[in-house]
Amino acid sequence: MSVIDTPETLPESRSDIESLRRAWNLAGPLKGQVARGVGFRFLQSMMLGLSYGVVVWVVVQLAEGRELTGSWIAQATGLMALSLAGQLAFGYLAVRNSWLSSYEVAGHLRLRILEKLRRLPLGVHQGRHRGDTVTVLTSDMQMLESFFSDGLPRIAQAIGLPVSIFVVLLVRDWVVALAMAVSVVLALPVFMGSSRRLSKLGIKRQDIQAEAGARMIEFVQGLAVIRAFNRLGQGQESFRRAIDDFRDISIRMVVQLTMPIALFGMIVMLGVPLVIWTIGLRVESGLMDMGTAITALILLFSMYGPLLALLSVMESVRMADASLIRMDRILVAPDQPQAADQIPQGYDLRFDGVGFAYDPQRPVLRDISFTVPERTMTAIVGPSGSGKSTILNLIPRFWDVDTGSLTIGGAEVRRIDEARLAELVTVVFQDVYLFAGTIRDNVAMGKSGASAAEIEEAARAAQAHDFIVRLPNGYDTQVGESGAALSGGERQRIAIARAILKDAPIVLMDEATAAIDPTNERLIQAALARLVEGRTLIVVAHKLSTIQAADQILVLDEGRIVESGVHGELLSKAGLYARLWNHRVRAMNWQLSR
Amino acid sequence: MVVTELPGGASPQNTVESPDYFSNLKLLLRHGEGTGAILATSAFLATIAVVLELVPVWVVWRLVTALIEGGANHALFASHAIMALAAVVVGHLLMAVAMGLSHVAAFRLIHALRLTLARHLARLPMGWFADRRSGGAKKLIVDEPERMEVLVAHGLPEGVSSVATWFAVTFWLFAVDWRMALASILLTPNAFVLIFIAMGRSGRMVARYQKLSERLNGAIVEYLAGMPVVKIFNRTGEALSDTVLTVKDYAAVETEMGRQFVPLGALFYTLVVANITIILPAGMGMMALGWIDLPTLAFFIILGTNYSQPLLKLFNLFHMIAHISMASTLIDTVLETPEQSDTKKRMTLQHHEVAFEDVRFGYSNHDVLHGVSFTARDGAMTALVGPSGSGKSTAASLIPRLYDVRSGRITLGGVDVREMSLEQLMEEIAFVFQDTFLFAGTIADNIRFGKADASEAQLHAAARAARAHDFIMCLPEGYDTKLGESGASLSGGERQRIAIARAILKDAPVIVLDEATAFADPDSEAAIQEALSELSRDRTLIVVAHRLHTILSADRIVVLDDGSVAEEGRHEELVARGERYARLWTDYTATQTIPLRRVKLETAQ
Repeated sequence: MSVIDTPETLPESRSDIESLRRAWNLAGPLKGQVARGVGFRFLQSMMLGLSYGVVVWVVVQLAEGRELTGSWIAQATGLMALSLAGQLAFGYLAVRNSWLSSYEVAGHLRLRILEKLRRLPLGVHQGRHRGDTVTVLTSDMQMLESFFSDGLPRIAQAIGLPVSIFVVLLVRDWVVALAMAVSVVLALPVFMGSSRRLSKLGIKRQDIQAEAGARMIEFVQGLAVIRAFNRLGQGQESFRRAIDDFRDISIRMVVQLTMPIALFGMIVMLGVPLVIWTIGLRVESGLMDMGTAITALILLFSMYGPLLALLSVMESVRMADASLIRMDRILVAPDQPQAADQIPQGYDLRFDGVGFAYDPQRPVLRDISFTVPERTMTAIVGPSGSGKSTILNLIPRFWDVDTGSLTIGGAEVRRIDEARLAELVTVVFQDVYLFAGTIRDNVAMGKSGASAAEIEEAARAAQAHDFIVRLPNGYDTQVGESGAALSGGERQRIAIARAILKDAPIVLMDEATAAIDPTNERLIQAALARLVEGRTLIVVAHKLSTIQAADQILVLDEGRIVESGVHGELLSKAGLYARLWNHRVRAMNWQLSR
Repeated sequence: MVVTELPGGASPQNTVESPDYFSNLKLLLRHGEGTGAILATSAFLATIAVVLELVPVWVVWRLVTALIEGGANHALFASHAIMALAAVVVGHLLMAVAMGLSHVAAFRLIHALRLTLARHLARLPMGWFADRRSGGAKKLIVDEPERMEVLVAHGLPEGVSSVATWFAVTFWLFAVDWRMALASILLTPNAFVLIFIAMGRSGRMVARYQKLSERLNGAIVEYLAGMPVVKIFNRTGEALSDTVLTVKDYAAVETEMGRQFVPLGALFYTLVVANITIILPAGMGMMALGWIDLPTLAFFIILGTNYSQPLLKLFNLFHMIAHISMASTLIDTVLETPEQSDTKKRMTLQHHEVAFEDVRFGYSNHDVLHGVSFTARDGAMTALVGPSGSGKSTAASLIPRLYDVRSGRITLGGVDVREMSLEQLMEEIAFVFQDTFLFAGTIADNIRFGKADASEAQLHAAARAARAHDFIMCLPEGYDTKLGESGASLSGGERQRIAIARAILKDAPVIVLDEATAFADPDSEAAIQEALSELSRDRTLIVVAHRLHTILSADRIVVLDDGSVAEEGRHEELVARGERYARLWTDYTATQTIPLRRVKLETAQ
């Protein structure tokens, strides 16, 4: 009864029926095969029902004194053989259809989600939910697979036999049939009610546990600090409190969760004494013949057994629910609109009244307007959190502006052909991403069909050629986990070579602040200088020399441009810029002094 | 349990050569003091509950017999109905209590396991967990112990009661008539032989499956992580098609495994519920031979039909346990990692000089330091510089024993750092590292971490010294502002200043700073630097630095290259020597002054 072990956060509580419908919709084009699997499983259970029919027939006739003859035995054996053969055949077809379709459903859904992700604004799956996205494509899919291969067919099986038994009895003695159904009908509201309640309780439990869990994690993560300050005693004390809470909450919740489940099982099984009582009454008053009485008694457990088994199926449905919600979140997210009806004339860049927010409650950029003429350099400065990197993110459409317009060469970026926009803009990322593959592959990404000479030239310009040729396999060295361990500075230069090869007219960059040794940093600086030569450059600037060299400096504060101009002008204004500048000059000249 | 259901856990993916199926159970039993009695009670109650579940079966059989033999009246039915009623009610109640108890035991066991883990972690070398990502901590302390719940809370009562049912039913069947009993259970062992063959067949592909499974995960992570680059280089088509290929390969392997498994697997699923098809013909035959009578046949029909159920449950349970056991190894790894030695001895230190004497050290299999010797004098500043990977941060982390040296030794005040108690060592040293860890709680709590009994005045003085007081006072609740997920979010520089305030409040004679401003935003850097100056007055100060201007006035600069000391001296001396440090210095000044583009600079002049 692992209802209570639902490991994921459910944002909302839903009934099992809704979850089933949601899962069914995900089967997409494979609905047919999935349905066949379920159908065959139902037929398999009907064929099992045939066995029970034969049993009832034989036992009743025997009880009524029919002679056991060889031909009768043969007849019954033949029917049983038929039933077994039918079960085997339908069972095979059921398992085959269900299993194979479950793999296809998962494969198909993975492709659908991958394709969908491509059409979403980049930020959507780069942000908070990136871990979720990976989960959706990996472990959630396994959950879904087992739902389609196992859970769904089990529902068909669990319902098939009881329904056929009910129908048989209804024909023979409707009173006893109804008596049999009473407990199920009574248990249903408990089931429905508890299913909602369970899912609500589950959410609550997870919330409380998450909080205690966070305190446990904090202890482990902070252990070095705790020990460095000799605070192990107190640290362990608070850890102890966290795990005590965790234990107590878990136990309390489990008690609340176990009871409705036990109650459901009990109510269903109370049908047994009720039916027995009813049969006794009707047999004594002569309303029911012995054959029917025996039939009802023999079929009693085959009626209730499968229904109890449904309980565990529904648990797995609930387990799959969190997965379904995560999938839906991706599938229903609106696509990034694509249009290709404007062609940029030139490379000057213009923000006009741009507003943007990741979260509607907290605007990040407000009414941003500025122009970057072709082949000039614009530096963006401002305190942390002022929206500097967000400005860069809007240009290659990692996100789309909420209000206002953003144009390149007079064309709205949202209306420039995707491939064309990619050609126009290069981004030098703060954290370098190299793909598994050779160094050559990674550089060649900058330009399809680049020749070996072009690749080498780009690497030279990026100050990377020398270290590359010193590697055992040169340009064919594998990067990534199994390949050569490249230093941060080396990786950065490979990424710059890639950008140089791409040769885009607009370059966006964020000056890295991470700790890189002076030699590497100097090489990177030289490589960047080659990259930005003769381009339109927008840079989130940290270095004094960069800021000083800019044609235009934008000073950002809380999402607005508060000052703009060149270095000299801004300094003389004695505003935010002057203050920031002085901070930096002070930092530059500071020494650890005694 | 007379329940008709099919196993859920028997998918072929779960099959692996020979894992230690019970490693988790062993783990729990080793750490679960005081839960034995609860577990035994739970198992006992579950067994009684299961026996009570057999009562209605017996009742039905008795009544069928009575009907066949005549003499069935309402009184008989009524009394048996009451028996069944009592059995159902009591049985379910007992089962509920058993499940409740097993959960209590499970959560206590998990509690004990977490406590053991915490105690052990506290004695591991500090670097051990500092290295691991936050995901690792969650996995270790929350997720993996939590998985044990299923094992104990569900596995135990269900396992024990299934075994008990199986024994009871088997015994009962054979006691009534061994020939019919054999017929009743005929299909069951055959079905299980088939499933093991099926699992073996698809199991041969497990290695391939797992390789593809890893490839799939890798491809998906790369697809997502590389998306910005892919987009900017307009390679979405290619990146997608690579990933698509992997997805398709994976589905193909799954399908192939499925095809291997399906014929026999399907046979299993069918046969395991089909005992009835043998029982009836066999029973009719035996009746014709006069071996059994009709009530006996009815008995086997009622009880023998679901003979496989408890075994199926056990089979699923076994799968679940194996699956969980295979998935979790982290706890074992942690518990098997040897503790860091601690003499617990308090030593008298004459001074606070830190000396490295031919120190060698490496992580797992690659060596980082090859015999490093230098001395950081009392009351002086010693800087460690060098290219990335030269071992300077590693050297710094050995002083507070984040790790222990492999050979050679590090002394503090003439005493090997391993000779004094860890407690004393921590009193002597304050270190501020690149990434700052702050606890959920108020800012005051975090700073007081340096000295629990610090007065309000001392607290504010430390914060002022760390240049943190002003921004703290600007927060809505000042020093009582809560940090953490639900609390205020501070910038990297602000967090660092709180960490420095913490170190200042600690007031230790030796201070180790590892690139303490590396992740600060440029605008808080100046403030942090001033804070550090404050911290370093009259102490043994050891600094790891890339930004060379910050250490110009160091009393001694130790230049590390590839794990060895290449040069030593004051800035001017080293620059004059014109070797490694001089080159670093040239590069450093060039980086700071060469602008991204020269053109503008010329026009500006």
